[in-house]
Amino acid sequence: MIDNTRRSRKHGARAAVISIFVFLLIWQAATTFTSLGILMPSPLISLSAFFKSFIVPIGPYPIFIHIYWSLVRVVPFYIVGAIAGIILGITMGWYKPVAAIFRPIFEILRPIPPIAWIPIAIVWFGIGEGSKWFLIFLAAFMNVTINSFAGARSTDPVLVGCSKMLGASDWQIFTTVVLPGSVPYIFAGLQVALSSSWATIVAAEMIRSSEGVGWIIISSQETNNSVNTLVGVVAIGIVGFILAVIMREVEAVLVKWTKRDI
Amino acid sequence: MDNPKVKVINLTKKFGDLLVLDDVSFEVAEKEFMCVVGPTGCGKTTFLNSLTKLYLPTSGEILVNGEPVDMKKNNISYIFQEQSTMPWLTVEENVGFGLAIKGVDAKAKREAVDEVLEIVGLNDYRKYYPNELSASMLQRVVIARAFATKPELLLMDEPYGQLDIELRFKLEDELIKLWQRTQTTVLFITHNIEEAVYLSEKILVLTNKPTKIKKIIDNHLPRPRNVVDPEFIKLRNEVTELIKWW
Amino acid sequence: MDEARHMSKSIIVAQGISKTFTNKRGSTKVIENINLEVRENEFLCLVGPGQCGKTTAVNVLSGLEPASTGTVKINGKTITRPGPDRGFVFQSTALYPWLTVMGNVEYGPKVRGIKKSERREKAQYYINLVGLEGFEHSYPNQLSGGMQQRVGIARAYCNEPVVLFMDQPFGALDAQTRYLMQEEIIRIWETAKRTIVFVTNNIEEAIYLADRIVLLTNTPTQIKKEYKIDFPRPRDYTDPDFLALREEITNEMDKTL
Repeated sequence: MIDNTRRSRKHGARAAVISIFVFLLIWQAATTFTSLGILMPSPLISLSAFFKSFIVPIGPYPIFIHIYWSLVRVVPFYIVGAIAGIILGITMGWYKPVAAIFRPIFEILRPIPPIAWIPIAIVWFGIGEGSKWFLIFLAAFMNVTINSFAGARSTDPVLVGCSKMLGASDWQIFTTVVLPGSVPYIFAGLQVALSSSWATIVAAEMIRSSEGVGWIIISSQETNNSVNTLVGVVAIGIVGFILAVIMREVEAVLVKWTKRDI
Repeated sequence: MDNPKVKVINLTKKFGDLLVLDDVSFEVAEKEFMCVVGPTGCGKTTFLNSLTKLYLPTSGEILVNGEPVDMKKNNISYIFQEQSTMPWLTVEENVGFGLAIKGVDAKAKREAVDEVLEIVGLNDYRKYYPNELSASMLQRVVIARAFATKPELLLMDEPYGQLDIELRFKLEDELIKLWQRTQTTVLFITHNIEEAVYLSEKILVLTNKPTKIKKIIDNHLPRPRNVVDPEFIKLRNEVTELIKWW
Repeated sequence: MDEARHMSKSIIVAQGISKTFTNKRGSTKVIENINLEVRENEFLCLVGPGQCGKTTAVNVLSGLEPASTGTVKINGKTITRPGPDRGFVFQSTALYPWLTVMGNVEYGPKVRGIKKSERREKAQYYINLVGLEGFEHSYPNQLSGGMQQRVGIARAYCNEPVVLFMDQPFGALDAQTRYLMQEEIIRIWETAKRTIVFVTNNIEEAIYLADRIVLLTNTPTQIKKEYKIDFPRPRDYTDPDFLALREEITNEMDKTL
């Protein structure tokens, strides 16, 4: 069994490398042999520009400083949004009156894309950092809330009955059954929310900013510098991927009980 | 036995260095009802999956009618514990499903479906949909579907494991009737020794892992069989002694 | 023996219990007018056909679900809700997947505020009793079906309830593991005597285990017949008397389609 999973993981990694390589190859071919090359730089150019940008600044800073600035905007407000989402989602999923009050509002707000919030964010929080934080908070909050809600809703009624029989109070049932039972769902939500918060950085940095990976994309678009646009895209992609991997590892450490290791 | 229906020769299966099936050889005669029993965790699933070539055997051969088994050519049916019917088809459509796939013409199909539905007692329910039936009736639908195609070999993996005794007895009797009428060769895997003694013509007793054949027992008890008959109890105890681990 | 049994007091007294479920399509009477007394340290099996209201009956008797009419008294006290004076072993095992074996078994004492050293000691005793020594730190999904149900039994015992209710605890096990667990539950019960109400659809299992079998009808479920089982333990599944009784009860049991 262990042997099998290890083998399948190795297969998975190999398949991932091949698929990325093939994608780059097609991209290279398309930009070399077709007129697409006029509109869009090839992967060789883009990737070398990406690596070069670690030394040669884009605008004021090299790329890693931009990434740092974007992470400083995203990570804290992702965490705040996630915590708020877990609290609201779980209580909404478990306590019916809470759901009755908040769910309708939540369901109306949920389909609104981050970009649509920009004007409102500016009115509420100005064009400084506040409105950016708000957009990132929102992206995390929405995804985590909906998943935590689903998690609490899916609490096994037999486990609840079992806990009652063993003498647990309502509050103990909430903390010892509903909460741990929701953890896999919460993590699924945290995972989606992380990608979504990170992706929101582009929208957030559309609101006046002078640094960050979103800023690279927006400013390069204004100057028609398609190589730098792609450098920004690559940076967002790679950082997003690394964040997702970190999140999965955190989950693997915290949620041991869903794994089967015999 | 000159012309066994199924002949398994020195079948061996390893997963890496782990030997799970160790040099298994046996024969199933045409129209025979063979039961396979073994201790819990003896690798019955590996045994079955190797027989059906879901796992490629490490060495050894499986012959059907004297030729290497070919899942495309040989008509081999399976019945497992978890049953599936098509929820959008009625009972008779479900039962005729396998025949329809094989392109059997409408008249032959209807005759085959009529025959098996009659035996399993689902005639009155032929227009019902699966969600209108009880679990045991669904089980009958699945069994009828398997027999309707007149398979060369029918593999059954503990289909009655979770049923009440009374229902199990009834379904076992129906199974015997179907088997006698359709003259199908059946290989029936079970944990339940009483069931094996009740159904079989021959009992294949497996060992614990790595799975070997411990004994092959001929079961000539007259039918209909009686579970309280001393001869029956004797055989049941004999098989129990061979595999008892609990 | 019989004398002694008459002397021992009734632990469970159920009078006229019925249960009706109402939904959009109307109401269904699942159990109807069940009167039942279970004596101290008795091993009682409730046996009924397929989809009869066995589970509902044991849920109501244990207080997991309220009765529509009638009363259940345990030790003279009327039962209206779940409580730790009763233990329950579920068909689905209902173990907390995020807790270890130890965590599961000590859950009851823990939520009742019993201090750590005391509840650990108690949990360890019952873990040993059910034969799971060495698996204290395993998670449920690392255990086989039979072992999971042992955890369920230890957890129910660990609250030291007056009565244990078991709803088809071995229903998902294979025939051989089931034989083992039947021997085990008798061994456990003989070591730590409790009143047990055990639900099963397996007549063989009931005859192997019970002091008394209460046969239930199809829905709406009522009591059809009672059988006192006096065979000495350990019982032999292939004993002619055993088989004869099995046949008798099989014939008596309501048919399912």
